Amino acid sequence: MVALAAVPLWWTTTSITRLSLPEGRVKALNDKQLRFSLNISLDTNIPVSVVDNVKEGLAKRILDERLDDIFSVAVSSGLTHNPQAYEVSLNEELSGIHVEGRRLITGPESIPLLTDALANLLLANFGHQDQMVMQYAPRYRLAFSLMNEDAASGDSPLSWDVKTAITRDIQPVLQKLLALHNFTIESQVQFFAPLAFEPVNLANGSFGLSQEQLTVFVNSAEWTLCSPTESTAFIIPQWGSISICNPDKQAVSRLSQRALHPSFSVFRTQLLALLGISPLPIGMTTSDVISDWQLDALLRRRAYENAKGSKETLDSIVSLVDQIEGMPVGKDVTDDVRGALDALDSMYAVARDSPQLALNYSARAFTRVSRAFFNPGMLALLYFPPEHNLAVYTPLLAPVSVPLVAAVFREVSKWRRSRRQSA
Amino acid sequence: MYPTELLLLLLAAIPYTCLASNSAERFDELLTVRPLRDGRVATRFSFIISQADAQPRAPQMISEEDIPQHYSLFPLSLGQVLREYAVTEAHLSLNAGKWDYGRWGYPDDSAVAPGAELWAWMGDSELSSIDERWKGLRNALAGLFCASIGSLDELRTTSPAYAFRPEGALPRFSTNQTHRLRYASLPSEHVCTENLTPFLKLLPCKSSAGIASLLNPHQLFDADWHGMGIHVMWSEASGVYLQLSFQAVFDPVRLSEKQKREFSFQSLFDRTISKACPVASESSVEVDLPQNAAYSITPEPSSFRDKVGVFDIKEAQRLPLNVSMRYAEMVFQYPLDPPDAQLMDFEAMRTLTGSTQSRGRLNLSIRNNRAHEIRLIYIETMPWLVTFYLHTLELTVDGRRRDDLLTRMTYTPPEAHGRPTLFEGRLTLPAASTLRLSMDVSKAFLRYTEHPPDAQRGWDLSPAVLVPLSAGNNSASLRGRRVYTPAVLVDVATPDFSMPYNVIIMSSTLIALIFGTIFNLFTRRFKEVNIDGTTEASEQDGVIS
Repeated sequence: MVALAAVPLWWTTTSITRLSLPEGRVKALNDKQLRFSLNISLDTNIPVSVVDNVKEGLAKRILDERLDDIFSVAVSSGLTHNPQAYEVSLNEELSGIHVEGRRLITGPESIPLLTDALANLLLANFGHQDQMVMQYAPRYRLAFSLMNEDAASGDSPLSWDVKTAITRDIQPVLQKLLALHNFTIESQVQFFAPLAFEPVNLANGSFGLSQEQLTVFVNSAEWTLCSPTESTAFIIPQWGSISICNPDKQAVSRLSQRALHPSFSVFRTQLLALLGISPLPIGMTTSDVISDWQLDALLRRRAYENAKGSKETLDSIVSLVDQIEGMPVGKDVTDDVRGALDALDSMYAVARDSPQLALNYSARAFTRVSRAFFNPGMLALLYFPPEHNLAVYTPLLAPVSVPLVAAVFREVSKWRRSRRQSA
Repeated sequence: MYPTELLLLLLAAIPYTCLASNSAERFDELLTVRPLRDGRVATRFSFIISQADAQPRAPQMISEEDIPQHYSLFPLSLGQVLREYAVTEAHLSLNAGKWDYGRWGYPDDSAVAPGAELWAWMGDSELSSIDERWKGLRNALAGLFCASIGSLDELRTTSPAYAFRPEGALPRFSTNQTHRLRYASLPSEHVCTENLTPFLKLLPCKSSAGIASLLNPHQLFDADWHGMGIHVMWSEASGVYLQLSFQAVFDPVRLSEKQKREFSFQSLFDRTISKACPVASESSVEVDLPQNAAYSITPEPSSFRDKVGVFDIKEAQRLPLNVSMRYAEMVFQYPLDPPDAQLMDFEAMRTLTGSTQSRGRLNLSIRNNRAHEIRLIYIETMPWLVTFYLHTLELTVDGRRRDDLLTRMTYTPPEAHGRPTLFEGRLTLPAASTLRLSMDVSKAFLRYTEHPPDAQRGWDLSPAVLVPLSAGNNSASLRGRRVYTPAVLVDVATPDFSMPYNVIIMSSTLIALIFGTIFNLFTRRFKEVNIDGTTEASEQDGVIS
């Protein structure tokens, strides 16, 4: 009776909340594909043969890079004045290729290079995993640090005009990137930040850092390195960049904006590289800080990466929950998964028209799906490995097994005895 | 279009540069060395970093992008935490040991509560509640200082009304801006080198130069009492003001072989000051000179100020600096009790009596050392597991009931498994007598999972806090400065934690016995036996006999 009465209590206290996940919708995602349409209109003064060439060339390039299920290209002759369209026009006096806004102006002798130029601008390493580029985040924290090895030695700069340097060199880029990220800016000065190793003394009286030393510059062996030699600056993939300031002969206690400018223009270039903005193809010029072509390419690439990441994480959540039966799935997890699915659906709907909106939706999806994946409620799973269960029940299993084992021995010896007798 | 935008930015940059040129940050450091009556030496390192033009973040703006923060002296890691949770004023202290007010007098930094103590004033906002930000602040500071402040949760958080007034000013972010206090203490926190290392990282010169180079963990954590304090406050005049302090009480008599109380930087810290911190505006060492003993101090102080010898570290010819104090005595004679003059106006002792695990009695006795009346605020915070019986509250002075000495009593009852108790009141200490306060308490029976890992040790209860309101004639001495009683340990009923396993073993044995019997019955073959004696008893053929 007591045991029966205790059953409901036992049931409620030991059951785990496992709400069902929308598995069907997650599976259906595999059939959906993010599609971007690229509308290129060429000015009427460009010969029709060139238009056809560009059309074929682009189509071939997209097919070669296996991006034909993502990009659809429409090349037309005559300017459409659609704000989303890319325009190409010819300027007889220009040599080379100039980019301005979503407009590309080519000189007459660059027309044969037009297809390649367009492909490089529009595709810009699309789909290639670049180890250097940071993972997408809607907000980045930019921290500028001035590090002195030993400020007490007397000739170290103790302050710097970082505000002006940031406003002049970094701010214009950040302004342009507002569509993708928000930035929090901060700076600090470290007066005692010694290196963990001795730099190599070079023959010409200067000091150098070897490739191995660069890897431990920030006291971590995990960061791999890609850096040009013969330079005072290097980049640490997905983390940041370092510029070594070699002060002039006379000691300065404050680094002026002029002294900081070389370092900060390096920071700007490296920041763009870390954020994944591919540089303009060689031979092209622009009057913008970052051209709309580059920005659009980055928007498409980030949207694609986020969508891919969200999809993979959703798959992992579903398979993880399937695999581990004791894993609780709360309402917040299912809400996040549904929210991510909704955002992905909206993203597929708008991707053709606006890469900007697509990125916003994909970022939302990625945030929500990451939150669901790392939900602490799911970590507190009731996981008892079989070894533990066995250990707890040993006091039961051991005495119970004694009569069983004894019985087996007796039976075996009896069987042997009877066989010997019959033989 | 773009060049104009760039031009605007350039114009906007001009006021910025003006601001940046007169750097508003300032760093001062000061080491106070105070020989104590019992032969010990109290040292206090004080590092003050102020940002004159800075203001705490307004909680109303917490959802918006913060303005860029540029620090040169102020620690970035702490600045990030304060901005993130829009904290106006915060005080964290991590101490080890019991500050002996009777022998050592009042400490230079009043935050000497045993273990960890954190209190913060934060602006109210509808956007994110104070409790959310308090939780964030706790966890962030726990990460920053490698301390278990994260466990200063709702079970330990209270808001006393009088004792923890803001030490700076509270800015008005909007017309009806209110600020609120959150206070929590964890007396069982152990302070060690892992807390000192992050503390040193907050200093502009780390432990490489200036007086901070004396902070040698091997010596500091060997001291009789040691602790650190981090105080952030704001005032209109000085802006955001950060004071980092480290206090330690050394015992040179214990360390010396000849029982002498002489000391030097080398003997106390095993280091000397060899470099001055280049960014410190003021950097000095102040040594209290003994009044009634023959002594010699080397090197000669740069200046004297009211029985204090001052050494200026910015004077390069003084370095390396190793201040040493010698006394003209062979062996240190401990002063006989009671000394002539009491250091403190009053001394408090708190105990928890009672032999059972369910009931007890809390006793507080405060001795007034002065010939005038002293009024003070008394604050008692208890985790919910200790409940007060207020009707048993008794105040006696020299054996006579004097319940009238406790006024303005406020009491926040505990919430089981949640909110702690808060008891506040105003006490009047009659001149030169001892006030005894006592009341019954009940100790709760905890849930199985609520016990700490070392359950048999008991629970450390937060110290009571006493804040003098007026001390009669020399009222300036201690007014508004907190005095902590030592923490007490409470022994609550603890279960036998091996019980579940015992139950498993017992029921398993029972089931095994039943199984064995039934198995035996099932597998045994029963045969008829003739008992007339002529035939042999049939051979048993069962499996188990």
